[in-house]
Amino acid sequence: MEKKVKSQKKAVTKDFLIKHFIQHVLETGTEPVSVFAFTKSLKCTEKEFYGFFNSFKALQKSIWAGWFEETISSMENEEAYQNYSVREKLLSFYFSWIELLKDNKSFVQIKLEKLEKADMNPDFLGQLKEHHTMYISDLMTEGKDTEEVMERPFSDRYHKGFWVLFLMIMKFWSQDESEGYEKTDAFIEKSVNLAFDLVARGPLDSMMDFAKFMLQNRM
Amino acid sequence: MKEQTRIPVGKVSRAARFVKTGAKVGGNYVKHYGRKMLDPSTSREQLDQDNAADIYDSLSELKGSALKVAQMLAMDKNLLPTAYQDKFAMSQYSAPPLSFPLVVKTFKQHFGKSPDDLFDSFTKNAVNAASIGQVHQATLNGEKLAVKIQYPGVAESVKSDLKLVKPFAMRLFGLNEKELDQYMGEVEGKLLEETDYELEVKRSVNITDECCDIPNLFFPKYYKEMSSSRVITMDWLDGFHIKEFLSKNPSEEARTAIGQALWDFYHHQIHNLKVVHADPHPGNFLMRLDGTLGVIDFGCVKEIPEDFYDAYFKLMSADLIINDEELVPVLFNLQFLYDDDTEKEKALYVSIFKEMTMMLGKPFHSDSFDFADNTYFEQIYKLSERISKIKELRNSKHPRGSKHGLYINRTYFGLYQLLNMLQVKINTTKPDWLH
Repeated sequence: MEKKVKSQKKAVTKDFLIKHFIQHVLETGTEPVSVFAFTKSLKCTEKEFYGFFNSFKALQKSIWAGWFEETISSMENEEAYQNYSVREKLLSFYFSWIELLKDNKSFVQIKLEKLEKADMNPDFLGQLKEHHTMYISDLMTEGKDTEEVMERPFSDRYHKGFWVLFLMIMKFWSQDESEGYEKTDAFIEKSVNLAFDLVARGPLDSMMDFAKFMLQNRM
Repeated sequence: MKEQTRIPVGKVSRAARFVKTGAKVGGNYVKHYGRKMLDPSTSREQLDQDNAADIYDSLSELKGSALKVAQMLAMDKNLLPTAYQDKFAMSQYSAPPLSFPLVVKTFKQHFGKSPDDLFDSFTKNAVNAASIGQVHQATLNGEKLAVKIQYPGVAESVKSDLKLVKPFAMRLFGLNEKELDQYMGEVEGKLLEETDYELEVKRSVNITDECCDIPNLFFPKYYKEMSSSRVITMDWLDGFHIKEFLSKNPSEEARTAIGQALWDFYHHQIHNLKVVHADPHPGNFLMRLDGTLGVIDFGCVKEIPEDFYDAYFKLMSADLIINDEELVPVLFNLQFLYDDDTEKEKALYVSIFKEMTMMLGKPFHSDSFDFADNTYFEQIYKLSERISKIKELRNSKHPRGSKHGLYINRTYFGLYQLLNMLQVKINTTKPDWLH
């Protein structure tokens, strides 16, 4: 008896659960009421679910984190990527990220719509944020070597600014009605350029330097 | 080419840039009058040069349609003092490029492949900037290719850019609003067409097919399967832009051959095809020392309406100009005269028009014309400067001259100017009915 049932059933995997979770959200606009109900509808056991995720929250976090990893690996497969400057790497990351989100636009829209304006750290993006922070920090370190990024007292916190930019890009995209999301392309291009102008050596550094000098020499 | 560090974002900052330029230009006038007070012999030339530099600096940062407007104004030599010319002519060669990741993204979107996969090689940096896009060099199966990629969102920014340029252009070029509206309307239509790369490929293929029999003229082959609404792939043409070409001391035969090819090219388009490559700025012509000429960029193509064609070229016959009775109806036809003009106004306009047409039609009045004759060009500039100062014309409640004339005049000015730079004597062929 038992053997028969097992052979009919699909193997429960991480992707399988994620796929059906997204489907549920898209169709009903809400999360499943409980893990029990969710697994029942999938004809699997709660235990199988908990083998992968502790909760729906954890599942959601892993959705975004998974997309992040997918984006990075698709980028790193590009031959040209390794030779990019830091600025280009980041541009490439945002472009690829948006490309990937396009396959899941409805889901992203539902999630982002519910987001409060001032909320920069939504729960479901927790894991993504960690990845993003790491990624940006790596880029910044690389940028310091290539002199694209200026070492400043607060330069270890640049990733916070880039996180805000990242959220802005996603929000802009989710509301972008231009053909082929051209405006999002322009948004990314312009904002990343601006960001890198800000983190690169600029007039502000010379001003600080000069101010410091004056202060020291007036004493 | 150095990549631009920052593109002005949005309408507000673009507007801010214009305001800044306006302030600078104002400052230049103050400087000019200051200089003049100290030294009454100071010419306007210095002022014009100062203005041109500031205007160019701000326009070149704007990209897109504002840059295009700069190019257009640059071509209309009758609108611009000489000092503006050189500055604006540069805009064809140096606009700041877009990042490579965006280029890759655009390719993936349109062809499903990155440029590295589609071609054997692909330059990471743009080798050239077109006004609304940039050009990369690629190779495929041993062939050198030019790949033009459009900046994103250009079509959308055309309208808002032109609105910004308007008040600025009015003051700067001494045009009245009506004239400018007509001008801008026509320009806007053409600019929007230029953003349609599929249309451009279609037109390029048509015109190059029609003109391929003209001696010494070469066109690139266009690759439809590697082109889309944002990307055009064509053969890479070798050759020099005119200034570089001339610096290499080309022989007189080479210059004449190129000049004649230019003339024949326009003759065939205007009189036989009635569709014309209306963008004769130097960046679109590649000249070679063996006397051959490559033509690229059919983004700006003007179709000439039949009735306009008839009226316009009637004026090129020397007899008509002398005969007022025949001339006046033609001028009504070309919207140079209006029913509510007073007799005095009519007389004034007719005399202005006669003088202008005699001057511009001069190459048509003989079998050959020596474009090396600088005095002819000086006369044109003097005349247009004088015309621009005629109060009645500036305050006229009607724009004078049909809007179709804009592109045709511009085409001829551009052509004359190129021929003048080449310093050549040309067989000025005309359609049979003009003889």
